[in-house]
Amino acid sequence: MSTSLLVRSTLPRALAHRAILPRNNSTLKHAYVPGGPIPKGSANDATTFPPPSPTHGSYHWVFERSLSAALIPLTAAAFVTSGSNFPIVDNLLGLSLVIHSHLGFNQAVVDYLHTRKFPVIGRIATWGLRTLTAATLIGVYQFNANNIGLTELIAKVWTA
Amino acid sequence: MMASRALGIGAALRQSALAPRTLRNNAVMRNVVARRSVTTNSLPPSAADSILNEQRLKRPNSPHFTIYQPQLTWVGSIANRVTGVGLSVLLYGFSIAYLIAPGTFDSTHVIEAVQTLPESVKYAGKFILAAPFSYHAINGLRHLAWDSGKFLSVKGAYSTGYAVLGATAVSSVILTLIK
Repeated sequence: MSTSLLVRSTLPRALAHRAILPRNNSTLKHAYVPGGPIPKGSANDATTFPPPSPTHGSYHWVFERSLSAALIPLTAAAFVTSGSNFPIVDNLLGLSLVIHSHLGFNQAVVDYLHTRKFPVIGRIATWGLRTLTAATLIGVYQFNANNIGLTELIAKVWTA
Repeated sequence: MMASRALGIGAALRQSALAPRTLRNNAVMRNVVARRSVTTNSLPPSAADSILNEQRLKRPNSPHFTIYQPQLTWVGSIANRVTGVGLSVLLYGFSIAYLIAPGTFDSTHVIEAVQTLPESVKYAGKFILAAPFSYHAINGLRHLAWDSGKFLSVKGAYSTGYAVLGATAVSSVILTLIK
């Protein structure tokens, strides 16, 4: 028994020169050949970065901050006027508030449910948010058109 | 020579087998074999990824936000997000409710429902709405100041932070007391 163990223990050294011969496909997919291509698609790959795009970068930032700045005079105007007399203020406020909320929700979804880590839930959250924003825009428009409007509602509920 | 000693059962056997006769000791080989017999599994190379993922799931996370000292900077930041999300949930909820059921959620019903509430509940409700709104709006001004390049230091962040807290308190009280 000791002889066979001895033979088996020296076998790796004897076969070492055969390591560079090509093996079957399953090992070639994962074995690293010096100087050869590095296979991708395993858990050890470095994280990828999104392609640089001004639409999702600086333009997005400028739009977001401009909208936030525009909300200041709009909110002040809503406090001062009555919504039914100035439907333009009501509609602008409704639109701006919903878009501002959508941008804020989107930041939270990207921060906490990024598709890189949550491929299924992240996509559901992103598209669910877009659907809800569309529904909210329609609801706000309907309320402003067929009812007393957002500013008037808040004023009346506040003093009810 | 001791420094270049190899490790492993094969090397141990090689060494004891190829050593001079005087040094070869059957007891050594018996000990090596008996103490170090291990079993091996045969796995495909793709198992490397699944083993790695399983190991990563078992690794402990170091405590981060459970032990981070509360500071005006990050508490204020998460409060800005929480108040914004809360107010937006209210806006989205009401708009979608009105879209689905305009009969139940139109202005007359909502105003009537609020009118029937007791005064204390009305004041509490107004404060619960006014405080997040005030904080988010005034902290938004602080954010826009940072975006213009002002107050971008630790002192600046703290002084503006305390100013925001004071202004929020004043504004919430004023808004709650509007009749």
